[in-house]
Amino acid sequence: MQSLRDIRQNIKAIKSTQQIMQTMKMISNARIRKAQDAMVAARPFATKMLEMVSDFTPDVLALPQPQDGTERWASRMFINRTADPNKIGLLVITGDKGLTGSFNAVILRAAMRFLREHKDHEIFVFAVGKKGRDFLARLKMPNLHIVYESVGIFPKVSYAHAELLGEAVIKTFLEEKLKNVTLIYNDFKSLASQTLLEQEILPFAQHAKKDNISAKKFEFEPGLLEIFKLMVPRLIKANMYRVLLESQAANLAATTNAMDAASKNAGEIAAALGLTLNKVRQAGITNEILDIVNGAEALTN
Amino acid sequence: MAKKLKLNLVTPQKQLLTDMEVDMVVLPAFLGEMGILPGHVPALVQLTYGALRYKKDGKDFDFAVMGGFVEVEDDVVNVFAEGADLADEIDEEAENQKIKKAKEALSKKDADIDFELAEIELKQAITRMKVKRRKV
Repeated sequence: MQSLRDIRQNIKAIKSTQQIMQTMKMISNARIRKAQDAMVAARPFATKMLEMVSDFTPDVLALPQPQDGTERWASRMFINRTADPNKIGLLVITGDKGLTGSFNAVILRAAMRFLREHKDHEIFVFAVGKKGRDFLARLKMPNLHIVYESVGIFPKVSYAHAELLGEAVIKTFLEEKLKNVTLIYNDFKSLASQTLLEQEILPFAQHAKKDNISAKKFEFEPGLLEIFKLMVPRLIKANMYRVLLESQAANLAATTNAMDAASKNAGEIAAALGLTLNKVRQAGITNEILDIVNGAEALTN
Repeated sequence: MAKKLKLNLVTPQKQLLTDMEVDMVVLPAFLGEMGILPGHVPALVQLTYGALRYKKDGKDFDFAVMGGFVEVEDDVVNVFAEGADLADEIDEEAENQKIKKAKEALSKKDADIDFELAEIELKQAITRMKVKRRKV
């Protein structure tokens, strides 16, 4: 049987751990508000930009293509016929830290499945978040190339991070002639849940409307193709920014939930230990009383 | 009163102006400053770092914008800026600090990512300073 002292020490340890977990919960809870605001504020830019790009996509694609079999930049971004079918890209966004429940595990499991499904491809990986980076670096698969990594950006994601990430993705996509780029991350659904999303981000999906205005009546400065060439990467980066913010908010929500569950759990264990403590103490007292009664009885006899 | 323009200004961080009724917009276009008045032909313009000015009720308002795009159509001006700060809200002291810090980081040249970030920071801070100074 445990001694009273041991149990007391145990309870004390659990309570102080609970204190830490509660504090962590409160911190991420406070940060969530901010992360959510940033997420909402970033939405108009991405949606309006998408509208604009969609409006002009058909016009750009209708421009005459070079005759020598090479694809124009715009058509590479959107249709991508001349890509190397053996090369694909994978962008994985995880958190930097653990203590977030299954947040990272879910993403890494999906990433692992993706890698297994495409094991005969050359895979170019972009890793955001320390957990994902470490995991992918440990795999040491010969067909896996980590071309870009970004760690320690949460919970202070800025547009500059999205800019660098987008730049790296687009550059690799064009230079290595990737067939496509897939993104795996956790989307912020609500404070209570995150959803794992796996989507193809390149080549860029066409959302063109059929009855779109012709670009002909527009005035361009400098020129349609030149602007388009800058606008699409912009949009992709704006999208990256949105995804990073989503992921950041989801990560904070997961931390909050995990810490909440953990501190509840700690509370339960502490309560159970408290019961044991009382029982042990009572048993001790009973024993002592028995000793005294026995002693007294022995004396009278 | 003559027709007005509707000005929208969004950055990746947030929406700064929504359907603001203005008389005139001056943009830091790629090939030089460009004025937009009501009735302008539809246009798609690339912006550089510089000052975006709009006139409303006879008053001028300046924004420091960090490049981006502008779409003009049917008297609606949609500005997609990389970043934008209202000139009156720019703190010269803080910008000076940023310039100093960025220059320091640039002179070290060790970590590559920090280097790129510092370069962007520097360019933005200088633009803000310029716009602020012009206004005063």
